[in-house]
Amino acid sequence: MGRVYVYGSAMKAVVNIPVRGWRDRVFAAATFFFVCVFIIFVLTLIITDVFYIDKEAVITVLTSKFIRHALWMSTWTTFVTTFIALLFAVPMGYALSRFRFPGRIVADAIVDLPIVFPPLVAGLTLLVFFSQTTPGRWIQEDLGIEFVFQPKGIVLCQFVAAASFAIRSAKTAFDDVSQRYENVALTLGCTQWGSFCRVSLPLARNGIVAGGILTWARAFGLFGPLMIFVGSFRGRTEVLSTTIFLEQSIGNLEVALAIALLLIFVALIAVTGIRLVGGSAQVKL
Amino acid sequence: MIRTEEIFFRIGTFQLQRLSIEIATGQYFVLLGPPGSGKSIFLECLCGLKKVDSGRIYIDGREVTALEPRARDIGYVPQDYALFPHLSVEQNIAFGLRVRNHRRKDVTAGVTEIADLLGIRHLLSRRVDGLSGGEKQRVALARALVLQPKVLLLDEPVSALDEVTRQDICVQLLRIQRHLNLATIHVSHNLEEAFSVADRAAILHRGILQQVGSLDELLRKPNSEFVAHFMRCENIFCAEVISQGDKGSGTQVKVGDIQLQVSSSRRFASQKRSRGGKLTFTIRPEDVLVCPGSQFDEKGGNAFVAKLVRSRDCGGYVRVELVGPVNLVAHITAGRFAELQGKHQPDVTVVLRPENIHILPK
Repeated sequence: MGRVYVYGSAMKAVVNIPVRGWRDRVFAAATFFFVCVFIIFVLTLIITDVFYIDKEAVITVLTSKFIRHALWMSTWTTFVTTFIALLFAVPMGYALSRFRFPGRIVADAIVDLPIVFPPLVAGLTLLVFFSQTTPGRWIQEDLGIEFVFQPKGIVLCQFVAAASFAIRSAKTAFDDVSQRYENVALTLGCTQWGSFCRVSLPLARNGIVAGGILTWARAFGLFGPLMIFVGSFRGRTEVLSTTIFLEQSIGNLEVALAIALLLIFVALIAVTGIRLVGGSAQVKL
Repeated sequence: MIRTEEIFFRIGTFQLQRLSIEIATGQYFVLLGPPGSGKSIFLECLCGLKKVDSGRIYIDGREVTALEPRARDIGYVPQDYALFPHLSVEQNIAFGLRVRNHRRKDVTAGVTEIADLLGIRHLLSRRVDGLSGGEKQRVALARALVLQPKVLLLDEPVSALDEVTRQDICVQLLRIQRHLNLATIHVSHNLEEAFSVADRAAILHRGILQQVGSLDELLRKPNSEFVAHFMRCENIFCAEVISQGDKGSGTQVKVGDIQLQVSSSRRFASQKRSRGGKLTFTIRPEDVLVCPGSQFDEKGGNAFVAKLVRSRDCGGYVRVELVGPVNLVAHITAGRFAELQGKHQPDVTVVLRPENIHILPK
């Protein structure tokens, strides 16, 4: 049996269950059956796409400057969104995990709301806020920070739809870190800041990284709210997910699938990369 | 030296009620109490991890009540040691020195010195995950001691260890405490642990300090039924005063079907109890004399015949249960027990010496 890394816990737990006798083998086989079915199912879908596309579609995807632009937009906006989401998630997760304050349960529920409601709602709500309300118009017109149909709007839209994943994961990660560690750090000379940076944060790192991956993945695949809030203007607000929609809507199914494969490939590299860098680096004082 | 004055702390429905204690430099103090009595909360108050509602805390004459934990000069070892799992043993021990921005050379020297003192130098490069309970305990102790604190607070430091390791660590704790001449508070619910290290002890129950004194005092002169019970005195009786002599001498009490003569302390003498009044007394199981046979001199006083109904070998002694005019538990030597068994009679003579009977204050 291989090693199973339990992701999102305070410490990286390595479980290596020995298989003894036929009962253990049956048990292991039963669990691996579901692993295999799921992986085969996903791979079959991807392979179907691979066989469906032709050489021309691949060449179009690799040479089109609009698709390259969409790829670039997808990449930088999702990484900026993930960075901002983590910037909020770490202090928010810590506050929700450690402090007891009036309305904490309500605040906790509000954090989860964007996970629950359909992503389309995020786009609609943002559009109404920035075009129909006084504070929204003030931000756009008086402050001059334009979001509607602008690249900045992509980041905002992704943030609203995906930040909850990072906050929820960070809170769970801090919940898993015993307060005793922080208490000891305080007696050893740390301030609250020091104990947070030197003890709580490194111990919650895996959970925070997991939250970052979820946020990035959600933002990368986001489509509906982007179409509503920022549209899909070629060379301006177009991202990979909206490009796929545009291509298939004009009948370029092969190109749409080729972009989808590109999206899957980039996602695979990014998720694996983040996991390798964030999940296994040794923390040093 | 650490001194507390009327410490009061409330959390939910639990209160630490006006705790005042003083532990001199170099003294090993054990705070005993059942789980939930507030021992750990008291230590956290001393550390500054919990802010007391009222009262004062002094360390070497300096008031630290309002100071942050890092400014109190306290070494704290929590119950589960709380070694930082993302750091190596060396990094754990050096943590406090690095946080306080000591020079690299001083950090290395400090860590090496304390590791040598505790015999854990070979563990320095290890990660904490793979350490045994005893090793973790010593690393946690080293991490607390490397900062050269004035007071050492140990929260159930050996409760998670096996019997042999526990004894070994207790011996080490005492050796190191003597070597560093630290005022030490060791929290525990285990009496054997206290006997192996304590210079002085106290018993805490429901946030109230029940009694402070040497272990012998707690053992022989408990001031309440709770303390007597906690110190494993199984013979606690409620009696009626028949007569009280001058200064408490020659006091006769009636318990069960017999009259006993009890020796009274000065404190008892000052608490006049009228004839017919009630009092509670204790006698330690090891102070109950059990002799073979049923012949005894009635004039000797406090002697009566009882039946030995149950016995259990407890290693160093045999615990016997006696049923008679009053039911008693006695701890006797294996030799004396063999003597009793040799007579093949369940009847034994029980003698309670008046000087071994302790009357609890009102």
